[in-house]
Amino acid sequence: MMSAVGGARARRVVGVSLGSSRRDHQATLVLDGVQVSIQRRGTDGDLERARERLTELDGQVDAIGLGGIDRWLVVDGARYTVRDAQWLVANVKTTPVVDGRGLKECFEPRVIRDLLAQGQIDPSQRVLMVSALDRFGMAESFYALGFPTVAGDLIFGVGLDMPILSRRELVDLARRLLPQVVNRPFTELYPVGEAQNRDPDPRYERYFDEAEIIAGDFHLIRKYLPPTLAGKVVVTNTTTADDVEQLRRRGVRLLVTTTPVLEGRSFGTNVVEAAVVAVTGITPEDSRWQPTVDGLKIEFGQLNLNPVQ
Amino acid sequence: MALMTILQAFVEKCNQHERLRAMNREWSRTVVIWAEDTGSRYWLRSVAGELQAGQGPPEEEANMEIRADGETLEAVFSGRLTPTEPYNQGDLMVRGSQDDLFRLDVITLMIWGE
Repeated sequence: MMSAVGGARARRVVGVSLGSSRRDHQATLVLDGVQVSIQRRGTDGDLERARERLTELDGQVDAIGLGGIDRWLVVDGARYTVRDAQWLVANVKTTPVVDGRGLKECFEPRVIRDLLAQGQIDPSQRVLMVSALDRFGMAESFYALGFPTVAGDLIFGVGLDMPILSRRELVDLARRLLPQVVNRPFTELYPVGEAQNRDPDPRYERYFDEAEIIAGDFHLIRKYLPPTLAGKVVVTNTTTADDVEQLRRRGVRLLVTTTPVLEGRSFGTNVVEAAVVAVTGITPEDSRWQPTVDGLKIEFGQLNLNPVQ
Repeated sequence: MALMTILQAFVEKCNQHERLRAMNREWSRTVVIWAEDTGSRYWLRSVAGELQAGQGPPEEEANMEIRADGETLEAVFSGRLTPTEPYNQGDLMVRGSQDDLFRLDVITLMIWGE
C-alpha cells in the first residue's frame, strides 16, 4: 500500500462520524503512489451537525467517509437502506459518500483467508462476531471456512440475549427484522457520541469467554469488553492507542485491524474506502471495485499484544 | 383449530426452546389478545422465561395488546403467517413498546424460521 509519492495531485478526504469528537485525528496515507490527506471529524452523536458538515463538504473534498452509521446493510444479496443515513447524506450532490461497506465486502474476507493461511487462526476456533449484519462479508468467510461462529447482533445490537448460531439463522433474521430495524433511530442500535467513551459493561462476558476469536465492530466490542480476553485474537478496526492498551491489559494475544495502522491507530473502513475512491475514481457500485481494491494491495494491521511464550 | 389450542401449542414450543427461555428469563409481560370478529379475549404471560396462556381477561394489567380477526390470529400463532405481513397490511394491530414487539417477532422467528 505504501509506495513512493509520484507527481499525482494529492487528494483530500474527510470522514464525518456520529462518533465522539474525542477520537478525531488526521493523517496522511499514500495509496498507489498518491498522497491522501485523511481527516476524521466526530459529531458526538448529533445528527443535525453531521448533516450540516456533510452538506458543507460537498464539492470541497475528493471523497467523504460516513462513520458511525451504515448507509445500507447488505445481507445475502439483499440491500436494506438505513433511514437515518439517507437523511444525513440527502444534500450531498456531487462528492461520493462511502460508509466502508465496499471494503468490508471486498477486503475483509481476504483478511480472514490470509490469517488462516498464515496459521494465525484455525477453523477449530470459535468465533464471536459481535455484529455480523454490518460485516456480512467477514461473517460469510468464517462460515465458509468452517469456523463455529456466533453472531451477536441481537445481543449487542438490541439487548436480546439470543445468540445467532448459523448463517441460515442470520439470513432469516435479516429478512424478517432488518426492514423494521433500518427505520429505527440509529442511536438506539449503536453507541454514538459519548456512549463510545463510557466504561465497558461486561454483562455478556460469557459470550466472550466461549470464543477464541472476537470479531466485528470495535465500538460494540469496547462497550461490552470483559475483564479478560486472555489468549484471544481480536479482528476489528478503528482502534486508538488507548484501545490497544486496553486490549493488551486484558491479555489479547493478537489484534488484527482490517484497515492499516497509521500513526498508532487504525482508521475506520469508511475513511480508507473514501481514500480508495479519491485516488481511483472508482466507487463500490462499480463492477471494477473488487479488482481495484485487490490491485491496491492494502495492508491490514497485526499487533502481537501478548505473544505466546 | 381453536385459537386457545393454538396458543397452548405456541406456549409449549416457546417453553421447550432453551434459547428462547434464556432470552426471556428477565422478561415479564402480559399480552392480551383480542379476536375482534368474535369479541373473545385471550392472554399470554411471560414470567422469568416461562410462558403461559389463558382465555378471558388477564388478572393483571396487560403490557401489550394484539388485535385481529380470529383467522389471522390463528395463522400468526400457528406459524402459517409471519406477524409482519398482516401488520403491514393493517390486519393486525399491536399496542405496546417497540422493544416488546421486536421480541415477539424474534420469538416467532426462532420457533418457525422465516
